Amino acid sequence: MERFLLKRAIVLVVTLTLVSFLAFLVPWIGDTDPARAIIRSRVADLAMDSAAVEALRIKLGLDQPLLHQFFTWLGRVFQGDLGLSFTSRLPVADQILRAIGVSATLALSALFLALAIALPVGTLAAVHQGRRFDGIVTFIAQGFVSIPEYWLAPVLVLLFAVELGWLPSAGWSGFETLILPAAVLCLRPLAYFSQVMRASMIDVLHANYILAARSRGLGLAGALVRHGLRNGIQPVLTVFALWLAGLLGGSVVVEVIFAIPGMGRLIYSAVINNDMPMLQGSIICIVGLAIVINTTADVLYGVLNPTVTVSGDAR
Amino acid sequence: MISPGDTPCLKVENLDISIGDAVAVARGINLEIRRGETVALVGESGSGKTVTALSLIDLLPPPLKVTRGSVSICGQKITRAAPDALNRIRGNRVGMIFQQPSSMLDPSCRVGRQVGEALRLHRRASRGEAFERAVELLREVGIPEADRRARSFAHQLSGGMAQRVMIAAALSSDPDLLIADEPTTALDVTVQAQILGLLEKEKKQRTLSILLITHDLSIVSAMADRVVVMYAGGIVEEGPVATIMRAPQHPYTKALIDCSLMRTAGGGDLESIPGTIPPPTRSIPGCRFHPRCPHALARRQESACAREEPAATRTAAGHLVHCWAAEP
Ligand SMILES: Nc1ncnc2c1ncn2[C@@H]1O[C@H](COP(=O)(O)OP(=O)(O)OP(=O)(O)O)[C@@H](O)[C@H]1O
Ligand code: SF4
Ligand SMILES: [Mg+2]
Repeated sequence: MERFLLKRAIVLVVTLTLVSFLAFLVPWIGDTDPARAIIRSRVADLAMDSAAVEALRIKLGLDQPLLHQFFTWLGRVFQGDLGLSFTSRLPVADQILRAIGVSATLALSALFLALAIALPVGTLAAVHQGRRFDGIVTFIAQGFVSIPEYWLAPVLVLLFAVELGWLPSAGWSGFETLILPAAVLCLRPLAYFSQVMRASMIDVLHANYILAARSRGLGLAGALVRHGLRNGIQPVLTVFALWLAGLLGGSVVVEVIFAIPGMGRLIYSAVINNDMPMLQGSIICIVGLAIVINTTADVLYGVLNPTVTVSGDAR
Repeated sequence: MISPGDTPCLKVENLDISIGDAVAVARGINLEIRRGETVALVGESGSGKTVTALSLIDLLPPPLKVTRGSVSICGQKITRAAPDALNRIRGNRVGMIFQQPSSMLDPSCRVGRQVGEALRLHRRASRGEAFERAVELLREVGIPEADRRARSFAHQLSGGMAQRVMIAAALSSDPDLLIADEPTTALDVTVQAQILGLLEKEKKQRTLSILLITHDLSIVSAMADRVVVMYAGGIVEEGPVATIMRAPQHPYTKALIDCSLMRTAGGGDLESIPGTIPPPTRSIPGCRFHPRCPHALARRQESACAREEPAATRTAAGHLVHCWAAEP
């Protein structure tokens, strides 16, 4: 177990360093000169004084070798300093922190809702494989996958906010504003989770250890709860981590439609406004978080599945 | 030793097992095991041994199902019994061990918990009691450092160890009957002997009846009191082990024993029975064995072998033989 954790930790550090280097290179993509971009953002004047640009370049250390710049920059990143936004002039880190909190709340609500429905539904579909319940579940799952969010979101708003008046149509002010966007976001993961759970429980149902457990006197339900779920849930956990990593970056469509101040909207406006520090910071935070989440999922997977972590000593 | 009035530990009457409603994989199985008796069920691969064994505890995987006949264990009817009643019998009155012991253990559940599971279910043992008893049982089946082993997982055990664990689990709530489906087939020869020795020991310590399923005749003489020979889903001969091995009456049993003798003698040409066991989907009129039967009668034109299923004959040696050539 210790060796397994150490290996994971080393991989984590290496990938995080690589990612931050790529994020660091963002302003160099294309031929925008960072110094020029900064001045443009402050002066908003196209006729730029080349002496001023040069002075700023030296002041910001942009004349130093690239690697040197990278490590200075990384040092600041580690202290939580991601620079100031070109547009708002506020610290990028603060804004990202707030937006990630919002997106994470939304993502976790949607994903746990999806998981809570998918685990029992997928298991039941597996038990009833090939029968009517299974067919209905597969049909609905396919439907959920193909409903676009930009269509579903306005429809739900029209129905529940405008027509029925049960829920607010947009905004971010507590539980009520969470319901509609979480419902929209959860459908696709729900479809995937339930299908993955179904497939993996079908394997589990045919597993010899379920037969052996039943030969000891456990009913089918008992054998599935005691010996099936823990083995069957493992593939779902992997997919869950992928979705969580993806959704923490925010869903642009849902956040824009529901006016939610999350990462999706933050990145959307950073791209539109060419806000380099904001983009850099967002990339580091989102990709970094995704990597951390996947590593955590790996470790959890190892805890659930001892063949990964507990080394064998057969004798 | 065994009073005739005793309810048999296992009684199977006229059992038919089919795939769906159409294809029969076992037909007209009659089987009886008395208390403390070991019966060997032998036959080639595909003859229907596993299917028969699973039907005894009503755990046939669909689409397989019992279409006729009945099974009772210790006088309790298994066929068409309520699910709750079945759950009270499985693991309690009957234990079962299988051919692939490692895959029979839940990979993510500690071995000790699985061994103690039947105690939790049938003896209402607490988690701690069950685990303690599991450690004792593991010690009893010859697992060194049992308390440490109880905390390990299936992938940390060798095949032989896993089979010992399965035996401990199957015997934990002291059943009357143990069904052992090829318990040593997947193991090394030396480990095979150890496992069989363990089964012998357990049988002596408890009043345990065993249904020992195997295609290896060499383990039959050492273990069994009686032998039941199966071919293509039907029983062809049964009788006491000594006379079956010495004087088999059915041509198939003879061929099977000849094969096994040649194999143990290590003779150059391992001549097996010519031909193969027919798949259940192939319908064969008369005796299912007649296309492969070396007996003169089967060769004769117009003989009953190809027309009519042979009736059971009780021979002088006390065998029940399903063959037209058998003499009472
Ligand atoms: N799940 C199943 N579905 C359909 N047919 C099956 C199934 N399991 C077994 N059979 C068929 O039933 C027949 C008997 O198989 P069974 O496994 O009982 O043989 P066996 O005597 O145990 O052989 P082996 O020595 O290989 O274990 C075979 O023809 C097999 O094809
Ligand atoms: S009945 Fe005929 S074919 Fe069948 S085993 Fe006897 S002799 Fe052979
Ligand atoms: Mg078998």
